[in-house]
Amino acid sequence: MFKNYFKIAIRNLWKNKIFSAINIIGLSMGMAVCIIIILFVQYEKNFDCMHKKNIYRLDEVQSWEGMVEPQQVALSMPPMGPSLKNDYPQVKNYTRIFPLEMTGLAYNNKKVFLKTVFCTDPTFFDLFDFKLLRGNQKTVLTQPNSVVLTEENAVKLFGTEDPIGKSVSTHNSKDTLHFTVTGIMENVPENSHLQFNGLYSLSSRFKHGEDKEWGSNYMVTYLELSNDANAKLLESKFPAFLKKYMGDDITKGYKLFLQPLNKIHSASANITHDYYNYKKFDETYTNIFFVIALIVLVIACVNFINLSTARSARRSKEVGIKKAIGVSRYQLIFQFLGESVFLSFISMTLAIILVKVFLPFVNNLSSYCLTFSFLKSPFLLLQIFFATILIGAISGLYPAFYLSSFKPIKVLKGITSKGKNKSFGRNALVIGQFASATFLVIATIFVVQQLSFIRNKDTGFNKDHVLIISGAYKNYQKLKTSLKESPLIKGVTGSSQRLGNNFHQGGVNFKGTGPVKNCASSFVFVDDDFISLYRMKMIVGKNFTEQGNGKEYIVNESLAKELLKDEPNKSYESLIGKKFWENNEDTLSTLVGVVKDFNFNSLHNKIETLCLVNNKKSGFHDVSVKIDGTKTKETIDFIGTTYKTIIPNFP
Amino acid sequence: MNVIHITDLEKIYRTEEVETVALNKISFEIKEGEFVAIMGPSGCGKSTLLNILGLLDDLDGGSFKFNEVEVSGFNERKRADMRKHNIGFVFQSFNLIDELTVFENVELPLIYTGIATAERKRMVDEVLDKIQIAHRRNHYPQQLSGGQQQRVAVARAVVNKPKLILADEPTGNLDSRNGNDVMQLLTDLNEQGTTIIMVTHSEHDSRYTHRIINMLDGQIVTQNIKI
Repeated sequence: MFKNYFKIAIRNLWKNKIFSAINIIGLSMGMAVCIIIILFVQYEKNFDCMHKKNIYRLDEVQSWEGMVEPQQVALSMPPMGPSLKNDYPQVKNYTRIFPLEMTGLAYNNKKVFLKTVFCTDPTFFDLFDFKLLRGNQKTVLTQPNSVVLTEENAVKLFGTEDPIGKSVSTHNSKDTLHFTVTGIMENVPENSHLQFNGLYSLSSRFKHGEDKEWGSNYMVTYLELSNDANAKLLESKFPAFLKKYMGDDITKGYKLFLQPLNKIHSASANITHDYYNYKKFDETYTNIFFVIALIVLVIACVNFINLSTARSARRSKEVGIKKAIGVSRYQLIFQFLGESVFLSFISMTLAIILVKVFLPFVNNLSSYCLTFSFLKSPFLLLQIFFATILIGAISGLYPAFYLSSFKPIKVLKGITSKGKNKSFGRNALVIGQFASATFLVIATIFVVQQLSFIRNKDTGFNKDHVLIISGAYKNYQKLKTSLKESPLIKGVTGSSQRLGNNFHQGGVNFKGTGPVKNCASSFVFVDDDFISLYRMKMIVGKNFTEQGNGKEYIVNESLAKELLKDEPNKSYESLIGKKFWENNEDTLSTLVGVVKDFNFNSLHNKIETLCLVNNKKSGFHDVSVKIDGTKTKETIDFIGTTYKTIIPNFP
Repeated sequence: MNVIHITDLEKIYRTEEVETVALNKISFEIKEGEFVAIMGPSGCGKSTLLNILGLLDDLDGGSFKFNEVEVSGFNERKRADMRKHNIGFVFQSFNLIDELTVFENVELPLIYTGIATAERKRMVDEVLDKIQIAHRRNHYPQQLSGGQQQRVAVARAVVNKPKLILADEPTGNLDSRNGNDVMQLLTDLNEQGTTIIMVTHSEHDSRYTHRIINMLDGQIVTQNIKI
């Protein structure tokens, strides 16, 4: 009987080749799109799933005088972790991370370049389930100057040699430091919000107990809570905790909160200073993607149903004959459902091929690395198998019931007309299909508009043809001079942080006509031609001068407004020439200008108060190079060679 | 023994506005081995009657005994089962499945009665030989002439060795030579013991039968038993 079903199905498909192709391709494209989106959703939902312990990140809400709005930050103070563990039994353990960027490590003549290295507590591997391939989990990070390398970098640096116990060297801005390799860990998985290439023991960086000082937020603290701990209850104790260690005042400006590990990647859209959160993506969008995947699949199924039903006249004779020879309706329903599931399997096979072919393009376009290796995962294979049956069955249900309802005598005499009520089902499907498609088109237009907003939004500065290179520090001036010799380079400037990166924050002081005003602001050290290179607009005052190094400050409009809050009648001009300083009062440093607000952080955030400091004493981390847009490759090669000659220690 | 025994059979078609009496209290019986023609003008109810006799449609009143079994209360499933084992159909427009070969078309009823493959093959070959179409067994219906197609349809109707064959204008789409062939085939089958009821417009075809039931407006007008 199955053989007969199969024969009829295959011959029907073959006889109506174009129809079959449209139907199968339609369904398989829907399936392929759905698979790709679901791969993405799974990728998102599986972030940090390799860690099994009850881990939370300690975050802060800061609301100080001078802030446009309170901000949530992913940073915390160094002693918070240890003190919390000490004071609250439900805090089982903690680990802290202090990141270092761009580190070169050398062994004999070989060199590797580590993009990110974390200085971290010895407890790192107790909390996180990153796999340690070599070394003792308890002791790898206890001694100062210990380093744990990822497998990839260990192989690059040592080849087949045993790295354990070997000494490697690195240069910071001042000295050459030596580290001993104490462990090798597996490469950090793609789905980890923490991405790094190596770990230093925290004691190598904080030799004199600097990590015991309260006040500055520059570490990321993770807490392991006992399994029965109530995070909300613990959070309610934090104000008292802060009061105990930092006094009454501070509790006004600070609030602490806990973020579960599995929410760090997906629910941190509003958290700033979140430097180490790989491909942070809001879960709302992930859920929207999931819904879109379902809509696409439903459209494909409805399309399949309509095409199958529309073709039913061709099968009516078969139904009539079979009914006449005594085949029951259930057998017919079973046959048509089976055919639909069969088509669904053909479509799924094609969909899998489509996904395999197009996934690299999708990855390339989205800079994600989604993988689809269903053969290696029996569970995924099983999921696909059942999904295929389900899709086939659902799509086949209506055509099967419709077809099997034919009255044999009518169809055998060639009368196939059906009453109006029969076509209602199909009309509803067509309308539903049309509505969903319209919805998707509107959604697409919305997304395109949103993207063009991001691309064309006036950020307040011009970043066209600007390249950023990192790690110059004390060699900055030399690099700048060399680069400027070339006609390919239109300008060079430096800054302590790059635009778009969350600028550091601190207190600034202003002495106008009244008493000294103290408020919080972001700040960035820049070269004197920073504002001109980025074509930012000065509102009042003058730009930085070369002579003014270390003594000149320019504030943005937001900060200017904040400074004038108590004296609303005064204009921006009244600020010019007044005393302005950060840490220690410096009688010579003055406010020289007000610059129009620009987006120095993410477009998600409102523009915060900011002061730019003309200060190149210690060189700059980031060098912005404005190039001639016409000979890009040549220019980049030139920058590369210049960089290597001046800063050979940096790969 | 009566293959068919109906008493006061009624069939009424209802739409929202109108009630049409298609069959008005019809009674007759058909004995095993009979070859009966049902004749009458279009719309007289003969096709409706054939549907009911073939258990493709249910009745609205009266009694219907098939093979001495009362079937008027049968549900769809029971009727399908009864059809499967006892009734073969031959239609005016042949109604072969285009996607199946001659052999496969004839085999179809056997598949659903659960007969094993080897036995099926034997039975199909036997009947194809009998109707002299065995050389065409692997052809598709479109490759055959109308007469050949109708012979295949007859083969399909009899392969299961049913008690009753219902033929709805079996020669209506055929030329006279092919028509005569098919009628001869039916006569042969009847002589071998199969009961046949045939709806026809053709006086010529009716001559092959033992008895003619004439219908008009849902009622039987005459039942001529020929000598």
